[in-house]
Order: sequence, then structure tokens, then C-alpha cells
Amino acid sequence: MSEGTDLNSLLVLVGAAQDRAAFAALFGHFAPRIKAYLMRLGAGSAQAEDLAQEAMLTVWRKAALYDPAKASAATWIFTVARNLRIDAIRRERRPAFDPNDAAFVPDADPPPDSGLERAEDGETLRAAMEVLPPEQAEIVRMSFYSDKPHSEIARELGLPLGTVKSRLRLAMGRLRQAMGGRE
Amino acid sequence: MKISHHPSEELLVSYASGSMTEPVALVIATHLAMCPACRRIVADAEATGGALLEELQPQILRPDALNSALERLNNTHGAPAQKSRSNFGAPEPLNSYLSRPLDETKWIHVTPWLAIKPLTTRGGTRAQLIRSAPGSGVSLHTHRGEELTLVLQGGFSDEYGHYGPGDLQTATPETQHTPIADMDSYCINLAVTDAPLVFKNWSVGVIAKLFGF
Repeated sequence: MSEGTDLNSLLVLVGAAQDRAAFAALFGHFAPRIKAYLMRLGAGSAQAEDLAQEAMLTVWRKAALYDPAKASAATWIFTVARNLRIDAIRRERRPAFDPNDAAFVPDADPPPDSGLERAEDGETLRAAMEVLPPEQAEIVRMSFYSDKPHSEIARELGLPLGTVKSRLRLAMGRLRQAMGGRE
Repeated sequence: MKISHHPSEELLVSYASGSMTEPVALVIATHLAMCPACRRIVADAEATGGALLEELQPQILRPDALNSALERLNNTHGAPAQKSRSNFGAPEPLNSYLSRPLDETKWIHVTPWLAIKPLTTRGGTRAQLIRSAPGSGVSLHTHRGEELTLVLQGGFSDEYGHYGPGDLQTATPETQHTPIADMDSYCINLAVTDAPLVFKNWSVGVIAKLFGF
């Protein structure tokens, strides 16, 4: 069993049984990474640590909503940290769709095995990221770590916006393709 | 719902990474509620965010970090019950920004044919509902910034095609167009702009300026 699947099982255990040992293991793995994520986005060390703790408490409260068939633990915890950052640092609401809403249009035709989001794909995805051409990987990382629209990323890098957009599309295409190539 | 006009991949990645302001995210998330295909792209981008979280060099925590978190667990119980909210018939998250059903919106008339209802603003970026009378047009204009228009009811056409419910049009400073609402009903859109429109006809421009359209 790989490390990624272990983390997924730990998160399921927290949701199903409020297992404190499982939570402690998740905390040890993710809290220092959430702190690093928030610092990359400009938070000071103390604030980043406080928010990392808040994020892990949110994980504890909401773990029952985690579905390992839909996302890896890392992906799910990333979305928790992202939402907390928007709320606590940017002080904005995070508009989100609600699958239980009457006006929500469900997916009539969920394509099997086509998404990157399947839990077991975490490691393949990381491997695919490592072999991205550096100029594409740079745009992907800046998309997640700079809190800026792509027009500003382009200005900062001194590149035409079209170049930034096409690098991002190529990168996302390669990441998807890497997944599709798996059995 | 047959959707043929979608947000660009970079907008969907920005929504997933959380680097988009609230008014823009409101339009994108409302499109997502109606568009399973774009939700899959967002899920892919979120998986990328998860992989990036894994590759970050971990930052050392205070020595008591875990213990203090474990202590706080005792006072932390299951997910709080969802606040009940009124259902105005619009998809979430738009529904949460409304105070009455779309049909009962208190419109601000810009012209006899065109009415708006501001929803939320951040910096210079604002999201608003726009209602056009059947068959009415907005005269030829360009855009100083980027403008996203999501059709909620009815539809409109311009030089680039026809837009029906769920379709999202992206206009940039290079876009010059003359949108015309369908003949058979009012067209209600959710739009976000970061700069005023630039009208080719100066008198329309004056009206637009007066009303902040």
C-alpha cells in the first residue's frame, strides 16, 4: 500500500470513527505542508501556523464528507486550506456550487477513468508534474502560489498573455494525458 | 441543458487555485453548477493543487502544535448543520446572493430596454444581473477589461454565435460586438466586468457612464 492510499484511509477513519491517532498522523503529514502553502502565498510564519491548525480542525469536523472515490486526501485537504485562505487572509466569500441544490445539473455521463481526481492517481500525477517542461511547470506553480490572475503572471514574467495561457493549457493537457495513459 | 460556450481553462484553474476575486468566482461557480464538463476540469486542477501541496518542503511547526490541536478536538464537533437558505430558483452560489426570485428582481433601468441589479463588488470588479428586453440590442461596443457574461434565462446572439442558458461569453479588449436578445423572452444574464464598456456611439456612452453600466 502506497503512502497516498494510506493517507486516504486515515482520512476515512477520521470521518467514520473520529479516530484521534489517525488524525494525529494526518496532522503530522499535512499541517507542515499547509503552513508551507500559506507562506508561499505570503502569510507570515505565525499566521500560517495558526491557519494550518485551523485547517486541520476543519478537516476533523468535515472528514465525514470525504469520499476517497472522488479525490485523494491531499486534494481534499488542499481545497480546505484554499477555502480557509480565501476566508481568513483575503476576507472574501468563496462562491461554490452545491451538489444538493435543486438547480444543480448532475453529471449524466461520468466518464470512467478520465479524471486526474481519482484518489489513486496522486502519485502518477506528481510524477507527471516532475517531467513537465520547466516553463510549463513554472506557470502551473505560479497559478497556485501567486494569488494573481494570469494577466499579472504574464506581466511579471515579461511574457505575452497568450504564451502564459498556452503553456498552462499544454501543462494541464499533459497531466490529463499522463492519467489517461494508465490502465 | 446544452452548453456550447465555456470558460477558458485558465479561468477554471484560477477558480480551483483560489486566485480569483469573489465577483468573478461567483460567475464561474454558477456556470459550474450547470456544467458537468467544466466541473471535471476544475476537479483535475484541484488534484493538481493536491499534488503541489504534497511536493512542498514542509515547514517546521511549534513543538506543541499537535498537542494543542488534539486538545482543541475535544471542543470540535461534527460539521455544523447547513444554514437553511431561501430558494429563489437560481443555482447556487448565485441563489445566496439574491434577496428575491429572479422574476421579482428590483431592477434599475439604464434604458427602457436594459436594466441592471448590482450583486457584489471587489476593487473595480463587479458582478451584476443584466436584463435585456426581447429583441433589444446593446449598441456596438468594446471592452476595456475582461467581461464574463453567463446566460441565466432567455438568450442572445452576437457576431460570435448564440448564447443560451448556461453559456458563458468571455469578452476581452479585443472583442467588438453587438449582442441582441432573443425575440421571444427577456434575457437575464449574470455578468462581471473589471472596467466600463467602451461604446462606439458617444450618446450611449454618456448614458452608460451616468448609470455606471
